[in-house]
Amino acid sequence: MDTSSPASTTGLGDLSDSGSSADHRQQADVIRPPAGHWRLALPMAGNEAALLIDRRALVANLGLLLALLILGALSLCLGSVTLSPLASARALFGQGSAMDSFLIHELRLPRLAAGIATGGAFALSGCLMQTLARNRLATPGIIGIDNGATAFAVASVVGLGVSLAPPALALVGAATATALTFGLAGGIGTRGYRFIVAGIGVGAVFGALTQLMLARVDIDTANAAYPWTVGSLNARDPVSLKVLEVSLLIGLLLSRRIAQALNVLRFSDSVAAGLGIQVTRCRRWALMLSVSLTALAVSVAGPVGMVALIGPELARHLSSPRGVPLVGSALAGALVMVSADLAGRLMLAPLEIPVGIVTAVIGGPVLLWILLRPTRKVP
Amino acid sequence: MMPTHHPTSAPLSAHDLELGYGHGNAGRGKSQHSVIEGLNISLPAGQVTAIVGPNGCGKSTLLAGLARLHAPRRGAVHLDGQDIQHIPAKELARRLALLPQETHAPEGLTVAELIRFGRQPHQGFLQQWSREDARVVESALAAANLTALADRTLDAMSGGQRQRAWIAMAIAQQTPLLLLDEPTSALDLGHQLEVFELVRSLAAAGKTVVIVVHDLDSACRFADHLVAMQAGRIIAEGRPKDVVTTALLRELYGIDCTLLSDPVTGSPILANMRRAATPNADNGMQASSQACVSGA
Repeated sequence: MDTSSPASTTGLGDLSDSGSSADHRQQADVIRPPAGHWRLALPMAGNEAALLIDRRALVANLGLLLALLILGALSLCLGSVTLSPLASARALFGQGSAMDSFLIHELRLPRLAAGIATGGAFALSGCLMQTLARNRLATPGIIGIDNGATAFAVASVVGLGVSLAPPALALVGAATATALTFGLAGGIGTRGYRFIVAGIGVGAVFGALTQLMLARVDIDTANAAYPWTVGSLNARDPVSLKVLEVSLLIGLLLSRRIAQALNVLRFSDSVAAGLGIQVTRCRRWALMLSVSLTALAVSVAGPVGMVALIGPELARHLSSPRGVPLVGSALAGALVMVSADLAGRLMLAPLEIPVGIVTAVIGGPVLLWILLRPTRKVP
Repeated sequence: MMPTHHPTSAPLSAHDLELGYGHGNAGRGKSQHSVIEGLNISLPAGQVTAIVGPNGCGKSTLLAGLARLHAPRRGAVHLDGQDIQHIPAKELARRLALLPQETHAPEGLTVAELIRFGRQPHQGFLQQWSREDARVVESALAAANLTALADRTLDAMSGGQRQRAWIAMAIAQQTPLLLLDEPTSALDLGHQLEVFELVRSLAAAGKTVVIVVHDLDSACRFADHLVAMQAGRIIAEGRPKDVVTTALLRELYGIDCTLLSDPVTGSPILANMRRAATPNADNGMQASSQACVSGA
């Protein structure tokens, strides 16, 4: 029994407690990283910084990035006017004809940027929400943020005595829905369930209000408001897009900062607390990030459904179970959004299907396929 | 081994402790109910303390309070003389490890990966894997006799192995204090012994271990110090041999029995158990109805 005492067992044998950090740096290759990881040691002033890189997660992220680049290039080339890859590349770098330049810089590039930013934001906030609620079905959409934004944007379009533009009002609507949900739930609650239930109620009310407004106006006005009810990348507001892009970058950095805590949050609260995680604070941060990113994304593209579910699910499927795939979710979400938008533009051209409809029509089966596939063994 | 009831160097102690649920939003009406009131306890250093008592007597609540999962309504818990409420979360996790009853791991996690989470309190954003981390995870695997199973996923293991993996995670926290909440309750006899022997080896390595146990025979055999709780109070504590009497068992569980002595270890054994036909049975009923309230 005594042999098994942790103090008396030295796993790697050759080391003592003494030695300066310089010595340690020289022997850095001796430190064995855990299975499936690379250990990245960076000499820093005084001490050595060591990062663990999950190989499978890295490969998954690189794969998603590559797919996103390919699809991005495709969506620049394809459309009502097809450009050759060379022509698009020339136009992209300011060498093409005026017509090509206009197509790329004024139409397709902003649309691609909007697709990447909104898809990334929706999926990242979905991943955060699912982690904090420990529920793979939790998305910011089901807690009423989308519906709040839609109701306010539609109100603006049908002209209910407000002078703000729809994107700005969508943001106000998202904030209102969140504030209402928060107020009614009286905080996040211990597990976020209460918050979710309150959000479903708030969302239902806003959804009904939207329907009511659409039923009371003439068909042309209802038509103009339509994209705001399904989600579309057609009528992006450049200011909202800029704000979203900056926020997504900040959001990614902040969520990386709490990534280790989020990893532990997948255990029960008492286990997480026992490991020194400030559970409530971590959850509050994740919720704040999730809600703000969704609100900003909705103000750009409207309530695009399913991305917050498919993105994280795809990322979890490709990545290892060792961590919460934050970056992977954002990449997967961007990929889903860009490919859905591309499909929507091409399928019934010259008619354009709003991206929200494509994500729902194609996203549903894709989600089912991911869920029903037998789980792969982790290498 | 001296049975010291109030050791001067108790690493963890509670004074006039009052604990209860019902803060926050759950059940506003009955929020004032306290599970534990006016409790004093100090845990002998380097020994195994077992907390026993009927369902709903507050064992798990006490353990959670000692590990700061609940803030006390009154009184305080002291770790090495320091109020536990004033210790930063991460530092506390380097000084005290808790294995709660409700353990649930993300799908597909392997034993080694689980144990690595025990290093979390020692790691930082830029210190994700040190030589020490590698060494401690190896030795925690060895201590729990799981080295050969390191790459097995948790779902593919027996209950006893899984419980040892969880304890190994707590070991990897390298804390002088370990609090284990009913680590044996779902296990068969052989697997229970695996866990108890692991607990003894931890104490032999100088750690202070607190363990909530249901099986009194095992508690008597493997613990140095026994704490008997009833309705949120400690009604007896000391060496198992000195503490366990038929009167105590009647008060705790409402049972009558014959007490034998283990021919090898000398620890008390309960034989010929039967329900006592006394009003004490009502105490048991009350206690379990309190369990329902506090669990809600």
